[in-house]
Amino acid sequence: MTKENVQGASEEEPQGQSKKGLKKQQKEAEKAAKKAEKQAKLAADQQEADEDDFAKDRYGVCPMVQSRQKLDRALVRVQDLTPEKAEQQIWVRARIHTSRAKGKQCFLVLRHQQFTVQALIAVGDHASKQMVKFAANLTKESIIDVEAVVKKVDQKIESCSQQDVELHVERIFVISQSEPRLPLQLEDAVRPEGDGDEEGRATVNQDTRLDNRVIDLRTTTSQAIFRLQSGVCQLFRDTLINKGFVEIQTPKIISAASEGGANVFTVSYFKTSAYLAQSPQLYKQMCICADFDKVFCVGPVFRAEDSNTHRHLTEFVGLDIEMAFNYHYHEVVDSITDTMVQIFKGLHDRFQTEIQTVNKQYPSEPFKFLEPTLRLEYKEGVAMLKAAGVEMGDEDDLSTPNEKLLGRLVKEKYDTDFYVLDKYPLAVRPFYTMPDPNNPKYSNSYDMFMRGEEILSGAQRVHDAQLLTERAMHHGIDLEKIKAYIDSFRYGAPPHAGGGIGLERVTMLYLGLHNIRQTSMFPRDPKRLTP
Amino acid sequence: MPMYQVKPVSPGEIKIDLPTCMYKLPNIHAQGTSRGEHAFQNGEVDPAVKVLEAQQDDILKKLYELKATVDGLTKTVTTPDADLDATTLSQGVSATVSKGTADLDSLLGKDLGALRDIVINANPSNPPLSLLVLHSLLCQRYRVLSTVHVHSSVTSVPPTLLSCLGPRHADSYTRHRFELGFTLIWKDVSKLQMKFNTQNMCPIEGEANVARFLYRLLGAEPQDPVLATQMDSWIDTAVFQLAEGSSKEQAAVLRSLNGALGRSPWLLGQEFSLADIVSACCVLQASDSTLAPANVQRWLKSCQNLGHFNCAYELLH
Repeated sequence: MTKENVQGASEEEPQGQSKKGLKKQQKEAEKAAKKAEKQAKLAADQQEADEDDFAKDRYGVCPMVQSRQKLDRALVRVQDLTPEKAEQQIWVRARIHTSRAKGKQCFLVLRHQQFTVQALIAVGDHASKQMVKFAANLTKESIIDVEAVVKKVDQKIESCSQQDVELHVERIFVISQSEPRLPLQLEDAVRPEGDGDEEGRATVNQDTRLDNRVIDLRTTTSQAIFRLQSGVCQLFRDTLINKGFVEIQTPKIISAASEGGANVFTVSYFKTSAYLAQSPQLYKQMCICADFDKVFCVGPVFRAEDSNTHRHLTEFVGLDIEMAFNYHYHEVVDSITDTMVQIFKGLHDRFQTEIQTVNKQYPSEPFKFLEPTLRLEYKEGVAMLKAAGVEMGDEDDLSTPNEKLLGRLVKEKYDTDFYVLDKYPLAVRPFYTMPDPNNPKYSNSYDMFMRGEEILSGAQRVHDAQLLTERAMHHGIDLEKIKAYIDSFRYGAPPHAGGGIGLERVTMLYLGLHNIRQTSMFPRDPKRLTP
Repeated sequence: MPMYQVKPVSPGEIKIDLPTCMYKLPNIHAQGTSRGEHAFQNGEVDPAVKVLEAQQDDILKKLYELKATVDGLTKTVTTPDADLDATTLSQGVSATVSKGTADLDSLLGKDLGALRDIVINANPSNPPLSLLVLHSLLCQRYRVLSTVHVHSSVTSVPPTLLSCLGPRHADSYTRHRFELGFTLIWKDVSKLQMKFNTQNMCPIEGEANVARFLYRLLGAEPQDPVLATQMDSWIDTAVFQLAEGSSKEQAAVLRSLNGALGRSPWLLGQEFSLADIVSACCVLQASDSTLAPANVQRWLKSCQNLGHFNCAYELLH
């Protein structure tokens, strides 16, 4: 608008151009000149750039891998990049963890699962300026293929898992690009809680993590946790198979609620409705009556408990054991505790890297246990609590704070994080628990604790149909609903006992974590149904 | 008829305050009524009040006596027997009753209806032989539930150490049928440690100290303070000079053992005691027993014959 005014002004005074007008014209001329200069320079640069890009074919974004061609290229895993491979030229596929450009150099940290390695692209024989610029602009989490020479470093690279080597990149191609804005930053997700608050750097909220589980699971800590969990499951299977157990699969859609009936999910089943199994209890016992002697099963367990605690999920993986015994249910208890001890030993021997990785973000004391496992009687536990000042009756159930206190007392005296509490009072156990023959107020039941929290509840089961009916009536249970269950004991049932553990809870307590959602890949609780 | 009336000059009744500094003479003429009043004036008291006062004095006297007794008791409890004259004690051997009853409740605390479990943490590279011998003695006296555990801090333990407390008791599945629990845990500890009641007792460290505690449970501690001191002295000699000392010190100890055993069958005289247990175990662990002086060898043989040393000998091979 001002220009028009100026022009108007100069038109108004056509004769002599006023000083203003002259000055304006001069300024315009200068501006135009500058602009022309810049454009010329840009053009020159561009030409330069185009001219100097000798490395054009050594970098770029690959077309989408639609299996167009079958390359016989061997990719080395980041895990295997060690000083032994020094001076070798290899291809690596990894994600970009971080990138940092500094003038003629660009430092990338490449990550594959739990392992990271530093890669360097520097302007030189193999790389041009444009290539370095391209590398610096790649988005985090993109998957890239890199051809590089492995070089030994004098000074250890503390921030990476592969500390003794570095990659000098010669070719770099993008296989799958990531969007630039990530919902959460992986470095934040791996930062220990305390550090974040002190230095003002962020840590990631649990809800954010669970909403964007796919990215959260990529962190080194999550990778370590779930590899360890896989180890627990595998050790459980291996130990039991070696003891002569048979793995069974039990149905999860059932017609009657097995344990009390209060907390079951209902599903519509054609014209009627059915329930999701609260535990494989019924079917494990039926297998024993069917002469399988020793069985175990690994499968989901559904509990419709409206508990929003740090250790309850509505769906979790149950590892259940049931075993027929000869004369005393302690044979079963010894078998179960031996299995647990083998699991702990196996985890300690084979998963040290994973345990250390988790400890970096969530420090905790290493897990201690005794072999053979410590077994205390309920009365002893109550006596220890009373000595510590807790007031409770001999037949009261242990409340959660009391359980934790007892765990601490046992840790102080025996220095073990895992123990069994035997001979619980009969009144607090389910109807199918076998009462103690010598004292009717107690039962042949037991609980196992890890770090003061209960992981297994088990007992000798009533294998006599008549006694079972009496106990069910005593507990006020509708006999019609459990008719099939009682019937299975009418045709010769061996004495048996068993128990079940939760995979997520055992992993959480072994690693000393504090929330079960950290050990469940896609957790389900009363407030969460996705992802 | 209204007359002129003169107002009375002086009021009718005049109260006269009799002086109290004078004493009254009894009224010769009148009889009886004023006697009580008279008595009061002379400083004598009412008999009822006298009785009350007497009662009060009684109660106060009793209170003072009670206070004196309590003061005396506190003094005897808080101050040690500094004025106990050791020279008046009987010299020589006093009969130590080896079958004395030990009050478990006073030593271990109130029985809360559950097994009283003694936990001992020992390093498998240094097995506590004297404690094994004491365990054997305890099993004779009480129903002891013995268990051996291996802690996760230790990778593996030779099978002899796992069975060092003998075969498992047939009743071991019912813990509450036993009076005492003896739980031995092989653990990576620098010093042997015993824990019993973590709320009221601190852990006891060192094999000799744990041995003294366990010996007390047998009720066989010598009552005679001279003997008790001698026993402690032998134990300390064995632990510090024999087990941990140089070869010169060890030789010196063996010589003194030899001398003492020349005079009597056991170190404290006629009775077997903890001094013999600890010293024998240290001698067996420190050196080759066949090279020991004659009396010492004879004494070791006597120990072995008692039968409680079998578990220790098994671990030596």
